[in-house]
Amino acid sequence: MFESRSQLLQRPLPPDLAATLLAEGIDPAKAWLSAETDLNLAGGYEPVFALVDPDRLRTVGCPCERWPGPVRIDLARGSIKEIRTRQGVGGGFLEALVEGVYVEVLAYSNARADLFHKVAAKLKVWITGENPTVTPEDDYNPRKCPKCGMTLEFKGDLCRRCINRGAILSRVVQLMRPYSRWAIVMLIILLTSIALLMVPPLLTKILVDDVITPAMRLGRDAVLGPLKWQLLYLVAAMFGLNLLRTVCDSLNGRLSSFVGTQITCDMREAVLARLTRLSVDYYDRHSVGQLISRAGYDTAAFNDLIRNVTGGYLAQILVVIVTGAMLFSLSWKLALWTLLPAPLVILASTFYWRRVYPRYFRVWDAHSRLMNSLNSILSGIRVVKAFGQEGHEESRFGRSNRYVRDSARRVEYATSLFNPSMGLIFSLGGPIVWYVGGLDVIRSASLVRPEFTLGDLMAFFGYMGMFYGPLAHMTTLTDWLTRLLTAAQRTFEILDTAPQIVQAEKPKALPSPSGSIRFENVTFGYHRHEPVLKNVSFEIQPGEHIGVVGKSGSGKTTIINLIARFYDVDEGRVLIDGVDVRDLDVNDLRRAIGVVLQEPFLFRGTINANITYGRSDATPEDVLATSKAANAHRFIMRHPLGYDTYIGERGAGLSGGERQRISIARALLYDPRVLILDEATSNVDTESEVLIQEALARVTAGRTTLAIAHRLSTLKNSDRILVVDKGRIVEQGSHGELMELGGLYYRLVKIQTELSNEPSIDGLAFRTKKA
Amino acid sequence: MTDLSPQDDGAQISQTEIRFLTPDMCRIHLGTHDALHVTVKNERIYGGVYAAYAFPVRHPEAYISLLHTTSDEEIEIGIIRDLSAFPEADATLVRQALERRYFVHTITHIHHVGWKYGFVFLDVETDKGHAEFLMPWRHDRAFDYGSRGKVLIDVDDNRYLIPDLDSLPTRERDEFQRYIYW
Repeated sequence: MFESRSQLLQRPLPPDLAATLLAEGIDPAKAWLSAETDLNLAGGYEPVFALVDPDRLRTVGCPCERWPGPVRIDLARGSIKEIRTRQGVGGGFLEALVEGVYVEVLAYSNARADLFHKVAAKLKVWITGENPTVTPEDDYNPRKCPKCGMTLEFKGDLCRRCINRGAILSRVVQLMRPYSRWAIVMLIILLTSIALLMVPPLLTKILVDDVITPAMRLGRDAVLGPLKWQLLYLVAAMFGLNLLRTVCDSLNGRLSSFVGTQITCDMREAVLARLTRLSVDYYDRHSVGQLISRAGYDTAAFNDLIRNVTGGYLAQILVVIVTGAMLFSLSWKLALWTLLPAPLVILASTFYWRRVYPRYFRVWDAHSRLMNSLNSILSGIRVVKAFGQEGHEESRFGRSNRYVRDSARRVEYATSLFNPSMGLIFSLGGPIVWYVGGLDVIRSASLVRPEFTLGDLMAFFGYMGMFYGPLAHMTTLTDWLTRLLTAAQRTFEILDTAPQIVQAEKPKALPSPSGSIRFENVTFGYHRHEPVLKNVSFEIQPGEHIGVVGKSGSGKTTIINLIARFYDVDEGRVLIDGVDVRDLDVNDLRRAIGVVLQEPFLFRGTINANITYGRSDATPEDVLATSKAANAHRFIMRHPLGYDTYIGERGAGLSGGERQRISIARALLYDPRVLILDEATSNVDTESEVLIQEALARVTAGRTTLAIAHRLSTLKNSDRILVVDKGRIVEQGSHGELMELGGLYYRLVKIQTELSNEPSIDGLAFRTKKA
Repeated sequence: MTDLSPQDDGAQISQTEIRFLTPDMCRIHLGTHDALHVTVKNERIYGGVYAAYAFPVRHPEAYISLLHTTSDEEIEIGIIRDLSAFPEADATLVRQALERRYFVHTITHIHHVGWKYGFVFLDVETDKGHAEFLMPWRHDRAFDYGSRGKVLIDVDDNRYLIPDLDSLPTRERDEFQRYIYW
């Protein structure tokens, strides 16, 4: 049945190609898998199919000069020993191991990478003699938008193309709900302010028509008559209106700031709360800088929204509408003349925001590069001097400096032309109104009931001045709205991202863990279809001390990441006390595990706050005892403020060894059953290492301990050592057993002893400590 | 096609020293199912070889690494210091291998650049034909290629190369730099 076919893995061949294959005696209908790639093996775009029937894997394409027949590759199932994908640049290859050689079966662009990872997985099963099933479910790809098919940045990500923008706007508006009363008050004040703005030109009209013009006719007598009082009232009214408007604007400014900053504050807290709950893999996909920008700046867009609603775009729209109405009410004919330069204003403003304003991006980027260049020169001045590179750095800085100059000139030359041009366009309205309006006033002067008075003209000028400014500003409305929606969307994206590591529906508690750990056939990779650990199994008894050794990238840290459930396994299980970590209460699991990392991370705050991190109920006695055990007490007491000493970001002000000892005290105070030491002594000097090793010997007593170290001497006394190589446990045993075995561990020890000219690892340890 | 088959009894290749391959010490040829093979004199035949640039921007015709992979590891057979020193047939095979590995569209003209909701939309002409693609508007998606070029990576991780921005017509360059300003 057609509907039960996979659209991607059982793709029908083009009729011509199918017919050609039939003519060659190959029946495409027998294929259980048919997948289309977009590239041929020469690296050019061409639809080529991987066609797999129960016995053969073929690649087929339309005959051409380079490949005269429809079949490009034809491999019997029995001849294929292995199937894999190999990543190229911008694409990849499906390869088969045939006669000891990896043969490129087909090429694909990155747009098809996910599809051929799936094909490879099916073929891996097929070559073992089994018959894999292909179903429509195989078409599901969590990295593609189900609506438009666009590749998402990570599985489960929101598609920015398909996201409902109306929904974003309505969600932004919903954020205002708790402040709806304030919003109504702000709107009333805004309308009042605009109404007050409209009155002065009307007063001007009265002033000119009913006071000044009659007074000019009456001459000196007017000064003594009621006109003098009328003049005074009108001037006082003008002043009063301006005063009232100032009060309204000031009040609205305060209210918008109150509401805007509160919404931003709420949003930042919500974003941070979500970020701290997201899984570690989220941080693998997003740079910290990017997240800082989202939490710090994108959330500020909400404050911008409120300010713009009250004092910005909403106000400008209302002013344009109301002044437009006033202009037409005074003289529709003159109002039409006034609108003459309006298209020019809109065109010029659009040109500015589309063409000129983006040049500022370059200026900002140039400044940022200049500062980075300066920062690297000054921070690395010792290196610069040591290598005699002063001249080179000066010329590098010169290039950055000239880039700033040129990009700034480019934008300033453009604005220096643009701004006077805008002034010219604005001023065009004046002469037109003076001429046309002036003629109307002159014509009306002889009439008993003038149609258009000098007062009308003056009022007209007053409204006209209010009309062009907001009109120019309005052209940026769409840009602003786009920026706002994008920032809002980025913020909502974080809020809507579900953590990959989810708590089980009915999590099992781990109240008093014994600390046993078991890996059962664990396979895991950080990237798509690139396993770092391959079918790993081992068991650790409670209280056992385990060393983990292996080359860089062999998978040591990955083992630890899986125990702590920073990631979930792709296949197999990780068990703590016989329970799958995915079924455990995440808080209980983390409570059972303490980690001391190569780069101890300390937070800004006091030493005491850093040690009690995660154990805020700890007493001063606990802190003192653990610090003493961690060999940290002595140096802490050397500080005038002892444990209340304030330390800077990332432990600034402390040496590497001191920071590490604080982190050990922190781990010890946490009192975990399982202690993980990830290269805990690799970044400290020898004296610190001795102190840390002493501390660790005390701290690890009675706890299940996993220690990763490159310096093998530090693991020599472990109960057992696991040797990891290319994602597999290749050896395990005590130091003596592994040395006797003469395998990888033996070779690693030999390399280290040879490098240090010491005859044995003990000598190496001794020399290291003595040095 | 040659009937040479790979043998595994060759000498170990040093992992700490660079070995430069010269025409007098090796032959580059096709083997099983047209896979690229390298036969190193007095050593062995390496099958399923692929080529990679060491300096793709500065030396696209030189310093080309030839790599051989097994199920577990990747071995660098050696580096070709100068491809033109090899017989034309050998050099052509290496160039074809490079072409396969580096699937990059070289942009020759930019018709239109637009921006919407965090994506830059590009309508371009490339050496592989007309292309339209979306690229997330981020620094890591458009990075420098030498001192005057740019590599763009679209939403599917496909690569588009502008070797020299200055070679584009002014209008196209300006339009491009309005969004890709870094």
